Amino acid sequence: MPIFEYQDVKIDVDEDGFMQEPEKWDETIAKALATTEGVDELTDEHWKVVNYLREYYLKFGIAPMIRKLCKETGFPLKRIYELFPSGPAKGACKVAGLAKPTGCV
Amino acid sequence: MIYPGLQDRMVKNMAKNNERSHKAQVVLERFEKKLNRQIVGSLVACVHCGNCTDCCHYVLANPGDTTFAPAYKADQIRKIFKRHFDWTGRVLPWWVKAKSVYTDEDLENLKDIVFGKCTNCRRCSINCPMGVDYATFNRMARGLLVSVGIMPEGVAVVSKDQWEIGNQMGVLKEDYIETLEWLSEELEMEMNDPEAVIPIDKEDVDIVYTINPREIKYDPRTISDAARIFYQARESWTMPSDGWDMTNFGLFSGDDDLGGAVAGRVYEATRKLRGKKLVMSECGHGYRSTRCEGPNWAKDDIDFEMESSVITMLDYVKSGRIKIDKSKNDSSYTFHDSCNNARSCGLFDEPRELLQLAVDDFREMYPNRAENYCCTGGGGAMSMSEYSARRLKSAKVKADQLKATGAKYVVTSCHNCVDGLTDVIKHYKLDMQVTQLVNLVANALVEERRGIPVPEIPVEVKPAVSLSGKKILVTDDEPDFLTFLTAVLEDNGASVLTASNGDEAIRLALAEKPDLITLDLSMPGKSGIETFEILRKDDDTTSIPVCIITGKPEMRRLIYERAVIPPEGYVDKPVDEEGILVNVRKTLELVHKK
Repeated sequence: MPIFEYQDVKIDVDEDGFMQEPEKWDETIAKALATTEGVDELTDEHWKVVNYLREYYLKFGIAPMIRKLCKETGFPLKRIYELFPSGPAKGACKVAGLAKPTGCV
Repeated sequence: MIYPGLQDRMVKNMAKNNERSHKAQVVLERFEKKLNRQIVGSLVACVHCGNCTDCCHYVLANPGDTTFAPAYKADQIRKIFKRHFDWTGRVLPWWVKAKSVYTDEDLENLKDIVFGKCTNCRRCSINCPMGVDYATFNRMARGLLVSVGIMPEGVAVVSKDQWEIGNQMGVLKEDYIETLEWLSEELEMEMNDPEAVIPIDKEDVDIVYTINPREIKYDPRTISDAARIFYQARESWTMPSDGWDMTNFGLFSGDDDLGGAVAGRVYEATRKLRGKKLVMSECGHGYRSTRCEGPNWAKDDIDFEMESSVITMLDYVKSGRIKIDKSKNDSSYTFHDSCNNARSCGLFDEPRELLQLAVDDFREMYPNRAENYCCTGGGGAMSMSEYSARRLKSAKVKADQLKATGAKYVVTSCHNCVDGLTDVIKHYKLDMQVTQLVNLVANALVEERRGIPVPEIPVEVKPAVSLSGKKILVTDDEPDFLTFLTAVLEDNGASVLTASNGDEAIRLALAEKPDLITLDLSMPGKSGIETFEILRKDDDTTSIPVCIITGKPEMRRLIYERAVIPPEGYVDKPVDEEGILVNVRKTLELVHKK
């Protein structure tokens, strides 16, 4: 199983770099994972997206629809893509410590 | 079927000797049922000439590892066929290298090959002088393994969702509809025309438009773009509320029953709405499954037209139904062929024609069309994380191909390829982006149709109400936002008071009597809604105009339900400087007039 290392962070990830044990997620890990998705610094706006994804995932075990994400954070779709260039599925979900979304993504 | 009696006896004898695991036994029993002329032809015809070897991107990226050679991979399935169903292997097994499967481990090894070392791209198939279609029986072998529960976890999850929920990402009907309504409202606002909508379940339409669930779940920009194009073309179209997922994991898993069930739902939706034509968004495997394979899987005589949205868009442009201005797409573009579109369905000239109508700088990729290489994410590989490292290594071929074009964008008519190529670009650090034809066509649209423009509230045309001399109280629990708002308002002449919670806002409002109060809705302690109600009910503050600035637009309803006069202004976060100023001025102006 691959291991992702960045500064003090050392976690098990799947072959696509998503966390294997999402329950071990914390903010330091988020910052480390963000570096792999073209996000050098997590701003308040990033955190708003990440925290919502996290909250939803812990409750329902899946990633939310993009509609819910936009509605809850108040960000238009365009802004989400500006914040996470690799998109909500791969970028934002990975940073929020979710497992890899299933299907054609 | 060949030698039916003999096969039965052979398989039964093996079972009697109790030599095999239950799963291995079941696989053998079902093997026979899968044998048709096409598969038997491919299983017996290989002469091991080696022509296929260099056709495979796995081989090219792993020189020297013969286990990636298509003929070798095919032989791992072929040897089972020979052992049980072909006389050569029965009589002279050692001569023709016939070998059965006995244990679950044998099946796991087979899984590693059929799922992990082949994307069913069929590049070896079209280059075989003997006409061996390895990908077809590789898919058959996948189906056999799936039938005994041996498959990558990702494939299992997605197949389950497609079986049970009706689409591969488990999107619920209400979420699907809510998302479409949201996109529809945005389009209507953009076009300022009540006719600019995404119709759901409209009957007797010319086009029933179906999509890939990733569009509705993660990236609906392609749906909006398609809707914009349909609107400009004045198309009579709809999206069904059921049977809208035209992707099909049955193609990847080799499960024809699943394939038939999923395709059948799409056909049923089209018929129910009495649609003349079923149009599929740009998805390679969905197109192949729904248009080419589905009628066989579902045993359905299709009585309506089916086409890729690529053809629909091309017709619009060529017939002048929509006009596009290619100068709006001013970068450099190359085209990647989806294996399912190009090799399996012959769809390669039309997308190129459309692309060249939509952009100026088109650069061909080599090899191309039916000879193009797989994005390396085909055959469901994107959902099999366990093979990602292998996949990305094999993508070296694709990366070199992309790089050689020198283009800034790679265009593809397949969602799977979008993700596959995105991974390739990231892994090989290419300076490139992926896009689709629908995005380019929508971007280049010359809008000939828009609603009658409603004259904008001439806030900025008339001498704007100056903010100088105005005292504004801003309330928000986010310090950064307070700083931002204060700076914007002060720059325009206002004097600003700040409050970081409801109580403070009420206190300042009473003491300072500001000309305007801005209020955040969700704050710790007293919420914006409660604060607003208190301000409105107090005679000393009731006439002070309030502008709500919130990141939770869905709370809007709550505030209007209160038994007080509603707020004078309302702004959704995120906000920009201009938006704030326009709204603040508008609010002050309204009050001014009163």
